[in-house]
Amino acid sequence: MSKFKISNSFGQQTRREFLATSSAGMTAAAAAAATASMPGSAFAAKKKGGTLRFSTRSDARGLDPQRNVIYYVSHPLAATSGGLLDIDKNMDIVPAIGEEWTISDDMKTYTFKIRKGVTFHNGADVDAPAIKWNYDRVRDPKTSHSFHRSFFKLVKEITAIDKYTLRIDLELPSAVFLASVTYYPVNLIAPNSVDQVDTHPIGCGPFKFVSWKRFAKTEMVRFENFWQTDAAGNSLPYLDAIEGYPKKEDKVRLTALRTGEVDLIENMSYADAANFKKTQTANYNTWDIPQVGCGYLAVQSKTGPFAMDHPNGKLMRQALSHAIDKEAIHQAIFNGLSESLNGFYGTASSWHMPDIKNIKEYDPEKSKAILRKLNAMNTPVAVVARQAYSYMHQTGEIVYSMLEEAGFKVTNEVFDNPVLRKKYKKSDYGVDSTANSYRFEPDQWYSVNVLSSGPSTKLRTGYKNEAADKLIVAARATKDKQVRMEMYTDVESMVNEDAAIIYTHGIPLTSAATKKLKDYQPAFAGPFNISNGGVRTAYMEG
Amino acid sequence: MLIYAINRIIQIIPVIFILSVLVFGFVHALPGDVIDTLTATDGEEDPEVRAALEEEFGLNKPIYVQYFIWVGNALQGDFGKSLVTRRPVNIELIERIPATVYLALVGIGLSIIIAVPLGTLAAVRRNTLTDYSAQIVSLAGISIPEFWFAILCILLFALQLGWLPSSGYAPLFSEPGKSIWYLILPALAVGFRQAAFTTRLTRSSMLDEISKDYVDTARSLGLSERKVIYKYTLRNAMIPTITISGLQLASLLGGTVVLETIFSWPGIGLAIYSAIQLRDFPVIQAGVLVLGIMVVIINLLVDLLYRVLNPRVGMG
Repeated sequence: MSKFKISNSFGQQTRREFLATSSAGMTAAAAAAATASMPGSAFAAKKKGGTLRFSTRSDARGLDPQRNVIYYVSHPLAATSGGLLDIDKNMDIVPAIGEEWTISDDMKTYTFKIRKGVTFHNGADVDAPAIKWNYDRVRDPKTSHSFHRSFFKLVKEITAIDKYTLRIDLELPSAVFLASVTYYPVNLIAPNSVDQVDTHPIGCGPFKFVSWKRFAKTEMVRFENFWQTDAAGNSLPYLDAIEGYPKKEDKVRLTALRTGEVDLIENMSYADAANFKKTQTANYNTWDIPQVGCGYLAVQSKTGPFAMDHPNGKLMRQALSHAIDKEAIHQAIFNGLSESLNGFYGTASSWHMPDIKNIKEYDPEKSKAILRKLNAMNTPVAVVARQAYSYMHQTGEIVYSMLEEAGFKVTNEVFDNPVLRKKYKKSDYGVDSTANSYRFEPDQWYSVNVLSSGPSTKLRTGYKNEAADKLIVAARATKDKQVRMEMYTDVESMVNEDAAIIYTHGIPLTSAATKKLKDYQPAFAGPFNISNGGVRTAYMEG
Repeated sequence: MLIYAINRIIQIIPVIFILSVLVFGFVHALPGDVIDTLTATDGEEDPEVRAALEEEFGLNKPIYVQYFIWVGNALQGDFGKSLVTRRPVNIELIERIPATVYLALVGIGLSIIIAVPLGTLAAVRRNTLTDYSAQIVSLAGISIPEFWFAILCILLFALQLGWLPSSGYAPLFSEPGKSIWYLILPALAVGFRQAAFTTRLTRSSMLDEISKDYVDTARSLGLSERKVIYKYTLRNAMIPTITISGLQLASLLGGTVVLETIFSWPGIGLAIYSAIQLRDFPVIQAGVLVLGIMVVIINLLVDLLYRVLNPRVGMG
């Protein structure tokens, strides 16, 4: 039985980080001791705190974090989220309420030791029975969202062995289950507060819920008994309160920042970001989030000329792939802020795979040649995109022109989500300009969207590749990251060859804040409620 | 007048009934499925979950039964629960109505304050610099897209001059000062565009009235020009202005999704728009019905106002 234990609350550190942290801690401790020895001293440390006014592009749909997906990048409510495990600034999984864990050799049993003394916002204990109650609720289709539930698909049984020990037995071996018990996707609510979860949720995150007016304002205050501390032993978070102000228009959010109405914004428009960074560095800090997710074209390969079982389907999909000029999308849609991708993960991710093969370079003449050879010039292609995300339908517009140029007969339409889902079900589209995000554990992408039995694969692309399926299933049960990387590299090479999924870009994001916001650092993929970072360590100066 | 008013109120009842049928019918005819939206982000479908949710929300009942249940509950002030947030529709939507009414009333008020004097002046001083200026301003108001004007206002008054907040909202009764502060820019954006239409209408109505015989008669009787214009001509010219202002108000009560988005104004338009995207039936139905009733009431008030301005209206 292998055992993972990280003795401090900040996860694994490099030697350099350890020295920096420990020396800072010793300095802080020395300063605190000195200050304490000087009664009434003018040097008494000023308390870190303040109210952070945070403006986001979107807002949650509802308050129950198990029925609604509280996005950890762009929903202010994510500041109230707490889970068994945490993620850090590198999107690595680190201890939280579960302070240590063991994984059985067959990778079918996970046993977590629960941190003592942790409470929900209403004072109830966060213990093994409470966590089991939460997980059972998430597993129940009547009380949870399918997104959350999908992370517990392999779970066979959850047992509270004692107050502070939780065991989870899986149906199949999994080396990736830890990602299922981080606060995103599965955060915890107080069992004795379930009746009020739609109006006043009680969680165990660093901030307590106060009020929510959808699309207008979210109010949260510091949770005084949050379990995490800084290096000097002071309770986190520092901020007294967070006020969330969803403002859908990028320009409006930016103006609100510049007029001092809010302190922090996320999702600056791609058009504004470059100029803002050039001209406003004296007044504002900015954070480039290189990849919140990955933009791609999903080719409907269930029926029609691009179908997996069509004799010319693969060549036809490759013709599509050769017609796509990723550089043009890069410049026109993302203002050069992102990067072209040939796999799901960009260079900022530790899962980036540089050795992916079978990349279909932009070559419209090759597309035309394939179409001519197959006597398939003017093959109809319906390009569709979701209305809610402008980069999706803007990319769709460019793809429309590219495919037209390559010799397809293209239509381009934008739909809201319910209509688009209906089209997926009926396979009534050709190419979907879309994106996927929040998949810091690769299995969450490959098992859902590439594996032939994956729910999204079945609904949308209909992609089938037995060799890829075997690799995805095997990777899920492989502990060694490097070996998994090699497996996923092979999968991505097959995906590029089969061209049912055409990766285009990382979806970047720029956040900005007034210089009064101190010690704020989001994770590299955007989350702001992270272990020893984000809104937990941030405070307002003055 | 009282009998006229009672008759008009009685006429409203079948209108509201037909409205409720249409709202319910159209909402249920929308393509797309709310259960899909609620349950299957990653494409996973579970017939058991679907059945449970349909049972919970009564979506498995025949459509006419669903209608009567909805109407019955609505008559008792219960619009049900949002399928998405699971909060009562009254919280989701009805509490947003004051913000919408507030902005619409002030916007229309502002437009009338700008448009009636400007239109009248333009007509009285026809083909002068005043007239040309008024026409240019109103043409600009009609031509400039509302969202662009709103963003220009924000950039000028909030960012460059720093006089006003760029966006936000505060309730009038609990924070009156702050509320008015937040209201100015959205009301200006609403009022300017509406004023542009109303100015042109007032001008042309005034020109029509001024050319009528009774005006010449009044002048020949020695009445002062001020009295002729403001007591007799303007009063008659106001009828089309009131009609158009009533329609504008009704349209604004439907919510101005674009302006609500730009100014982060928590009005009903954005909520209904979001509900439509998610196919959140109870919210859409309640929102459209309540707005429809408000429009009917505004039309009633406009009709009654006609009678006040011209007692002969509605006599035959």
